[in-house]
Amino acid sequence: MKGSLGFRRTALAGAALATALGGGAFLVACGTGGQDGAAAATASGTPARLSVADSYIPLPPAGGMAAGYLTVRNDGGQGDELVKVSSPGASSVTMHRSTASTMEQVEKLDVPAHGALQLARGGTHLMIMGWQKAPALGDELELDLTFARTGTISVKVPVKELTYRPGQQ
Amino acid sequence: MPRTARTPRSARTAGAVAVALAAALALTACGSDGGGSASPAKVVQQKSDSPYEGTVLGKHFDKPDLQLTDTSGQPYDLRQKTNGRTTLLFFGYTSCPDVCPTTMGDIGVAMKKLSPEERQKVDVVFVSTDPQRDTPQVLRTWLDSMGSDFIGLTGDLGKVKAAAKALGILIEDPVVNGDGTVTSTHGAQVLAFLPSDDKAHLLYLSGTDVKTFEHDLPLLAKGVAA
Repeated sequence: MKGSLGFRRTALAGAALATALGGGAFLVACGTGGQDGAAAATASGTPARLSVADSYIPLPPAGGMAAGYLTVRNDGGQGDELVKVSSPGASSVTMHRSTASTMEQVEKLDVPAHGALQLARGGTHLMIMGWQKAPALGDELELDLTFARTGTISVKVPVKELTYRPGQQ
Repeated sequence: MPRTARTPRSARTAGAVAVALAAALALTACGSDGGGSASPAKVVQQKSDSPYEGTVLGKHFDKPDLQLTDTSGQPYDLRQKTNGRTTLLFFGYTSCPDVCPTTMGDIGVAMKKLSPEERQKVDVVFVSTDPQRDTPQVLRTWLDSMGSDFIGLTGDLGKVKAAAKALGILIEDPVVNGDGTVTSTHGAQVLAFLPSDDKAHLLYLSGTDVKTFEHDLPLLAKGVAA
């Protein structure tokens, strides 16, 4: 008897796990478009769901002063903020915005709900200094992006050619 | 697009700020695709009947009278050395991570597409706005990544500021930040001087697509009128 009870519990736990997995799959389905109105409505209140894409560091022309560019997508219904960036391979990573003729440091950057934060040439960018090892083409630098709600996302960012743009070879 | 006679002369008296504003307006108008008719079109028309994709200047600035030091440590007189030559001029600094290498890198890419003969006719001049840190050697190393024949000039910041100001470019003294880093000023534009009169005829705002440089550089090398 005892043995069969134990077995039963295990089976229930298994069912719960299966349900959790099913829920996960359902959420993914919502994120990619949803099947019904009710699901879409509740999705508007979902927490920020962040992913990082198109990250790159153009090989700096000389020295260790580099820029970093990337896109943070948010598929969730709540906004988030990028509040800090650091790297185990560089002593200083700061967020800057290029203005017409200079640049200014910023403390945080908004990642809007159902939107994206884009760090791109001539606009908002990361300034990376104090490289432990001089950057070379093909290197990857780990960047740890800390968001106010989501926490930290680590990405490996490739060092590309000086004039590289995402979407080109 | 209705065609009307160009009247660049009327714009001569406009200040540098007005020119920069007009340039920005022209870009905005192009971006929103015009729609065709009437009024805010003066600058756009000027642009559309030019063979160039860059912004055609209504005011043709003189090449600045500027004597600095080149990357070999020799005196360099801008007017004398680039006399009768197509010249691209940009004010910036090497520890600028974003706009300066992007702008100069894109020019470098476009320059490499020219034939050797064309390329020989164009001087690309980078004037440092951070002479304290941009020594001739630092400039050379930095520029070599983009074009080994690019000309780098450094020297008295007062002279640089005066030359930039005459072109409508405001350069400020470098600012030391709280964390010890230094932020300098760069120009928001590249100016192109034609060989025919050594005056600036075209302007490329930072953020200009590399394709625009690729389109315009062969024309600039030939000295085609804007």
